[in-house]
Amino acid sequence: MTGTRTVRYAPRRGEVIIMVDQLPNLGREQEMLAEMGLSDMDELFSDIPAQIRMQDGLPLRDPQSEEEIIADANRLLGNNVALCDRVSFLGAGLYRNYVPAAVFAMISRGEFLTAYTPYQPEVSQGMLQAMWEFQTLLSELVGLPIANLSLYDGSSASAEALTCSVRVHNRKATQKNVVYVSQLTSPDKISVMQNYCQGGGIEIRMLKHNQDGTIDLESAIEAAGSCGVYVEQPNPIGLLDGGITQLKEIIGKNTALIVGVQPVSLGVVEAPGKYGADMVVGEGQPLGSPITGGGPLYGIFACSQPYLRLMPGRIVGRSIDVDGKVAYCLTLSTREQHIRRHRATSNICTNETLIALMGAMHMALLGPEGLNHLAVRNMTACLLAKQKLSEIQTIAIPHLHSNHFNEFVVELPGKAMDCLAYLDGNGIVGGFNLSAWYPNRTNWLLITVTDQTKAEEIELLAAHLALWSAKAVMA
Amino acid sequence: MSNLFDHKGAVGKGYSQPKPLLPAHSISLPENLTRKQAARWPRLSEPEMVRHYTWLSKRNFGIDTGFYPLGSCTMKHNPRINEVIAQLPGIAEIHPHQPEHHIQGLLSIFHEMQEMLEICAGMDQVTLQPVAGAQGEFTAVRCIQEYFKSRGETERTKVLVPDSAHGTNPASAAMAGFEVVEIPSREDGRIDLDAIRAAVDDQTAVMMITNPNTLGLFEPEISQVAEIVHAAGGQMYYDGANFNAILGITSPGLMGFDAVHYNLHKTFSQPHGGGGPGSGPIGVKNHLAEFLPGPIVKKRPIMVGEEAHAIDDLWYGWYQPAKSIGKVQQWHGNAGAVVRSWAFYRRFGNGLRTMSQHAVLNANYLRHAIFREAKKAGVDDMFCDGAPTTVVKHEFTLSLQPAKEKYGISAMDVAKGLLDKGYMAPTVYFPLVVPECMMIEPTETESKEVLDAFAEHFVEVLQVDAETLHAAPVTTPVRRVDEVYAARNLCLRHPYEEE
Repeated sequence: MTGTRTVRYAPRRGEVIIMVDQLPNLGREQEMLAEMGLSDMDELFSDIPAQIRMQDGLPLRDPQSEEEIIADANRLLGNNVALCDRVSFLGAGLYRNYVPAAVFAMISRGEFLTAYTPYQPEVSQGMLQAMWEFQTLLSELVGLPIANLSLYDGSSASAEALTCSVRVHNRKATQKNVVYVSQLTSPDKISVMQNYCQGGGIEIRMLKHNQDGTIDLESAIEAAGSCGVYVEQPNPIGLLDGGITQLKEIIGKNTALIVGVQPVSLGVVEAPGKYGADMVVGEGQPLGSPITGGGPLYGIFACSQPYLRLMPGRIVGRSIDVDGKVAYCLTLSTREQHIRRHRATSNICTNETLIALMGAMHMALLGPEGLNHLAVRNMTACLLAKQKLSEIQTIAIPHLHSNHFNEFVVELPGKAMDCLAYLDGNGIVGGFNLSAWYPNRTNWLLITVTDQTKAEEIELLAAHLALWSAKAVMA
Repeated sequence: MSNLFDHKGAVGKGYSQPKPLLPAHSISLPENLTRKQAARWPRLSEPEMVRHYTWLSKRNFGIDTGFYPLGSCTMKHNPRINEVIAQLPGIAEIHPHQPEHHIQGLLSIFHEMQEMLEICAGMDQVTLQPVAGAQGEFTAVRCIQEYFKSRGETERTKVLVPDSAHGTNPASAAMAGFEVVEIPSREDGRIDLDAIRAAVDDQTAVMMITNPNTLGLFEPEISQVAEIVHAAGGQMYYDGANFNAILGITSPGLMGFDAVHYNLHKTFSQPHGGGGPGSGPIGVKNHLAEFLPGPIVKKRPIMVGEEAHAIDDLWYGWYQPAKSIGKVQQWHGNAGAVVRSWAFYRRFGNGLRTMSQHAVLNANYLRHAIFREAKKAGVDDMFCDGAPTTVVKHEFTLSLQPAKEKYGISAMDVAKGLLDKGYMAPTVYFPLVVPECMMIEPTETESKEVLDAFAEHFVEVLQVDAETLHAAPVTTPVRRVDEVYAARNLCLRHPYEEE
C-alpha cells in the first residue's frame, strides 16, 4: 500500500473542551510520554503495521457535550410513544408492572452499578450476598431448591434448560437428543431454542394442544422417554392449564419437566416445583424491571438437585472466611467457560445480575402477602376485562370459561391488524396480533392487563372494540 | 441485621398497593392450580429495605469506589448521563412489539449505533441483538456455519482458537456444534504462524482471535493469519473484548476479519452491574450479512403519510435478513444498553480515537511506572513482563513467577495485598500461558496521579513478607474466603429454621 499516513495525535480545540470531563489525562500526554522516553503518541502504536492503519480519522460526527446529548436524547426518545402515555393492553411476554421507587434508588448506587462479576469475594460481599438472597427468594417462589443468578432473558433460559435436560437425561432416554416444546410457544422463543439446540444435534418436537387451548394430555405420552418437555404456565395465550400439573406423571421420571412462568402469577398459582417441575424458567422482568424496549431483562432459572452440576450460569454459595466468619463466593465454577472452556455447560459469562438485583429488591419489598396482592390485582383486572368484553355481541372470547392470569384471546369479526390500527388512532395500544405467532389466526388479538390497568381503561377498550367490530360485521 | 431473612415484620408488611379492581374472592381457581404455601419471603418496610441494600452496597467494590484495573474487563468510568437517558419513558416504557411508527426515535438510535459500529470495525452490517459478548461470539459462528451450509461446505466443522483466548471463545464454538482446535502460542506470547499453517485444512470453518491479544499485545502478523485462514477457505472472527485499544487507529476489517463482536459494556461504558447486563452486537462483511439474526434497522426516505412520526424526514424500519439464522434473544437485544452506549458514543464522536489513544497511553504509563517504582525499591527481580515487548496496548501482563520461586509470593497473594491498599485486584491467572499471571488494564478514565499511586502501592505490596501477604486481606469486610469449603458444603439458599 502506498501513500500511508499515520494518525498523529492532534485533538482539535473543540475535542479538548468537550472530552476533558471524561479523560483526566487530556492535555498531559507529552508529560506522560516524556517520562516514558517517548515524544509522540504514535510511538505507542509502532507495533501496528502501516498497511493496516486507518488512513483518516473516523468519519463520525463531532463530540457533544452532556447538555447537547440530553437534548438529542429528549428529541429522539421523546418522539417515541411510551406505554405510560397511552392506554395499553400489550403484553405477550413482557408486562408493564409498577416498580417501587426504592428499587431504582438502590440499584443506582455505584457500588452495585459499576462493579464487575464478583471474582474477588473479599470486596464483593455485597453483591454476592444479594445474589445468594435472590437465589433463595426465587427458589421459594418457584418451589425448587436451586436457582442461579440469572440468564439473559426468558428465551435463553428456556433454551438452556432444554440443552441441560439433554445433558442430564440423554444416557437413559429412549428418544435420544429429543425434546418436546408446547406448540403454542412464541416462534421467536422457539427460534432461540433452535439456535441453542442445533449445535448438540437436539431435535425439537411439538407438543400438541386441544382446541380449547389446554395441553393434549393423551398425546403427551409421546414425550415420555425424551429428554425434556417445555410448557408455559400461564400458557402463551394466557390460560392457566390444570393439565400441566399432571404432565410429570405422564412423561415420567427420566424426562425433565420444564415450566416457563410469569413470576407474578405465583402469588396465586401453584409453584411448579409442587407439581413435579424439574426446572422452572421465565422472564423475570415483571418482578422489578421496566420493559425497556425488550432488554435488559433477566432470565430466571431454577432446578432440582439432579441438574445442579450440569446447569448453566453462575451460582453463589455461602461459605466462611479464614476467621470462620460467614462469607459468600461464586461456587461450582468448574461447570463454566472460564475454567472448562469448550467442555463448559454454557458459554455464558456476563449475565443480567443488576436486573436480577432489581427483582430481589422488588421481592423483598413485596413480601409474601404483597406478591399475592399483586397477583390478585392482575387476575381481577383480567376477570373484569373478560366480563366487559364478553358483553360485546360482535366479538368472541374463545376461552371465556377457562382460567386466565393476566391475558386472554379475543376473536374479532375482522383482521386483528386492522383493529389495532383503529385502536391506535384512538390512543389505545390494543394488544398483540396473534397472527404473528399463529399465521391462520388473523382475527385473534391477545389482550393483556397488569397491575397498572384501570377500570376506566377497560371501559374505553370495550367501547372502541364494540364500535370497530360493529363496523367490521357490517363490512 | 445482616441477613435479609432476619426481617420478620408483621403479615402484610411491604410497600402499599391500590385495591384490586374486583374483590379477591371473585377469583376461583381449581385446587390443583392454587398455591397452598406462600413463598417464605421476609417482610420488610421500605426503611428496612433501603438500609439493608445500602449496607450491602458498602460491602461491594465498584469503579466508583476506587481504581479497578481488572484486565480484559475495561472497567472505565460510567458517565451518569447515560443512566438518566436510559430511564426516559421513550426507552424504559417501550414494548418491543410496538409498531414502527411508535418507535422512530429508538430505531434512529439503533441505526446510528449500527452505522457507528460498522465504521469503527470496518464491517458492512451490524446487528444489535446479541446481549453479551459470549452470545455475540455464538451468533457469529452460527452465521458462519449457515454460510458454509449454504455453499455446500458442510465438512467445515473445526474452529481454531489460540491457547491464550478467552474461555468464551471455545465454549461458544462448541455450543454451536464445532470441534475446537487449540493453537499453541509462540514463546513470546504471539500467534505462531507455522502452528496455524499446520492446523488449517479443508475442515477449517473459523479462526477466532482477539487483537490486541489477551496479553495486551498487538499481533503484528494478523494479516498473514487472515491470508492463511482465507486461503484454506476459512473465516476470520474478531473477539471484540479488547476493542478499546484500537478505535480509529486500525480495525478488524483492515486486519482481514469477516466477523466481529463488540462489548458495549466494555468499550462503550454500559455499566457492568456486578456481572451484567451487557450487550454484544456483531458486525459482519457483506457475504455474511444475510445470515444475521433479525430484525435489524434500515433507513429510507419517508413516504406520504409518514411525516407526523418521522425523524428528519427519514423512516427507520425493521428488516429481516433473507437467510437469517433466526433469533438469539426473543426481542431486539438489550435496547437499554444500546441507548446508554449511544450517549457514550455521542460524547466522543470521531474523538473515539482519542479515547483509545488514552487507554493505551495509560496502560503504557502504568507499566512504566510499576517498573520505575520497583527499580527504585529494588524489587524489580520479583516480576517480569508476561511476554517480552516494548509497548503494550490497552492492558499488559506481569508474571509473578520470580516472586513465587524466590519468596513464595504468588500472584494471588499480591492481588489480595492490593485489596488491602484499597484497590480492586487485577485479573489473575489469566491468560493461562503466563505463569503466575497478573493482567492489568487501567482504561482511559484514570488520572496520572491514580496510576502513579497504584504503582507505588503495588511495589509496597511486593515488599511485604510472604507470611503477612498469605494472610491478606485484613481490612476488607471479610478475609480470604474458603472457596473449597463453599463447594464441599453447598449452601445455595437460606437455610430456614424449620428445615
